[in-house]
Amino acid sequence: MRSNRLGCLTGTGIIAALITAFAIAGYAYARGGLMYNPGPLSAQGDETLGGVTSHAATGGNCEACHTAPWEAASMADRCTACHTDIAGDMRNVATVHGTLMHDEPDLGCRHCHPEHRGPDAQLTVFSDASFPHEVVGFSLKGHPQTAADEPFVCDDCHAGDITTFDLKTCDTCHREEELGYMTAHTLSFGSDCLDCHDGVDRLGKNFDHNVFSFQLTGQHVGLACVQCHVNARGFGDFAVTLQDCNSCHHAEEPHEGRFGLDCGECHTAEGWSPAKFDHNLSVFKLEGEHAEAECDECHVDRQFKGTPMDCYACHQEDDEHNGEYGTDCSVCHTPSDWEDADFDHNLTKFPLIGGHAGVGCQECHSSGQFAGLSRTCVNCHGDPAYHAGLFGQNCVGCHTVNNWSARYDGPHPAISRNHEGAGCRDCHTSTLHSATCSACHDGNEGGDGDGGGDDD
Amino acid sequence: MLRGNRELWLAFLAMVLITGLYGAVIAATREVPPASELFGHGIGIVGFIFMLMTETLYSLRKRSRTVRWGRMSTWLEFHIFTGIVGPYMVLLHTSWKFNGLAGVSTLFAIIIVVSGFVGRYIFTRIPRTLDGLEIEGTLSQEALKHARTLLALWHTVHIPIGMALFVSAFVHIGAALYYATLLK
Repeated sequence: MRSNRLGCLTGTGIIAALITAFAIAGYAYARGGLMYNPGPLSAQGDETLGGVTSHAATGGNCEACHTAPWEAASMADRCTACHTDIAGDMRNVATVHGTLMHDEPDLGCRHCHPEHRGPDAQLTVFSDASFPHEVVGFSLKGHPQTAADEPFVCDDCHAGDITTFDLKTCDTCHREEELGYMTAHTLSFGSDCLDCHDGVDRLGKNFDHNVFSFQLTGQHVGLACVQCHVNARGFGDFAVTLQDCNSCHHAEEPHEGRFGLDCGECHTAEGWSPAKFDHNLSVFKLEGEHAEAECDECHVDRQFKGTPMDCYACHQEDDEHNGEYGTDCSVCHTPSDWEDADFDHNLTKFPLIGGHAGVGCQECHSSGQFAGLSRTCVNCHGDPAYHAGLFGQNCVGCHTVNNWSARYDGPHPAISRNHEGAGCRDCHTSTLHSATCSACHDGNEGGDGDGGGDDD
Repeated sequence: MLRGNRELWLAFLAMVLITGLYGAVIAATREVPPASELFGHGIGIVGFIFMLMTETLYSLRKRSRTVRWGRMSTWLEFHIFTGIVGPYMVLLHTSWKFNGLAGVSTLFAIIIVVSGFVGRYIFTRIPRTLDGLEIEGTLSQEALKHARTLLALWHTVHIPIGMALFVSAFVHIGAALYYATLLK
């Protein structure tokens, strides 16, 4: 009788199935889950976590990493139970793991860290383009395509191991693209590209220097970076490049520092010339005719700093007084006009009062001498013949500057007191050497005239 | 000749196509398709389904008393076709790693395919109708008896190998589900 059982369900078939099942169960009992092992675990590791230094050291204990499908815990929970530092990173979006968890919360550790690939196999493998590469400090935004116009794959930059990066990789590829530029660029800034470049191309073709405090205008536009950023070997070096003019321009500075170090006070980035210098911001303001003077009239040989500010330094040749009024012209003169002198003789030791007031300068200073002129009366006033040498040079014995018509009250020979009231010239009509009485007295009266009068 | 070996030619053609696809995947991904990823896993699943069909459909048809779809010879051709192509796909699923239980299962699969070829050789020594019935009188009684003995002996070996294969394969599938597919 034919059975309609499946042909495999023969006695030997069932026995073979049972033997196989027992053999598997026996092996599982003896060696754990080792027979399900799809490949050896990684033997790499130098730090003890969870009691082992590598995954391979867990032996056949699958449950060390694997959870049962019906358990609440996931395999990632097993990972983080040992890798506690990574567990912390996963909660920090500033880290690679944190960003990955933020972007893809359901991503398991094994997505990037496959196992059972051999004792020396890489434990980090990323074939997905969604890896947040910028979190490791280098964005791939500036690397859309390879030099061969193909999409980048990890191996293009990370030869074999995505956890390592050889700095020569940048140089090798970019040198193929722009040999001349790269040669110059690495000479200027070194070959550690990552010190400055973070992949977002902030220093590339779209770089805008004007977002920084030192904006590039005028002649600064188009300069090579290295002309200002000398020996920069990192982005920080660029940021601390000194912004004062002198730091770059000291070698070409023609003023030898006499105007200070802030070129911008006179010059602009449009060019060294024309320069704008406000002399009135200096201690020597340009007023009157000084404002019309050319720079080199005072600043001979382009000597600017330290130019003497006293009048005489420039105006010695103009001094019509031959230095007799000293060297400080400004006592009398202003920059407006030499002629517009304002000299107060009364501030001198010889105030012009009385008869001296209103006298023309030349009447006293006829020789052109002003300073040091003798203040004695006889310097100007000669002893008149009328005095007949009787009074010497002591004019002030009888005269004052207010009253030249002096009255002589001194001893008088040969006449009586009743001549009081008579002037000198009443009797001494020509000189004091001679006298006449007849001018007052008729012939009956003899002797000296009796009269008074003012002397000259 | 072609008629008599149609299932072998079809199996060969299918293997060539699968091999071409396998090569294309290697060229595209630059790696041997891992057993756990889409292509490698896919051919493993389809290959195992083929092997299950190999194990069950021909046997069911042969023993069915009510449903008699198709000729027995066609079912045998299909049994041979899936019995070759299925294990070949499973072989590609291994990604050429034969450790553990999965390796044992692969070994069983290879053995049973070889055994199948032996069985087919013995089976075809006995002339049959398209429905698989023996045609009487074409062989001497001694030869027929000898062939039947050989076929019975072959069944005694072939079927236990198949059972061992399926037990190990199911455990492998269970373990794969437990440790990988359903892993959270």
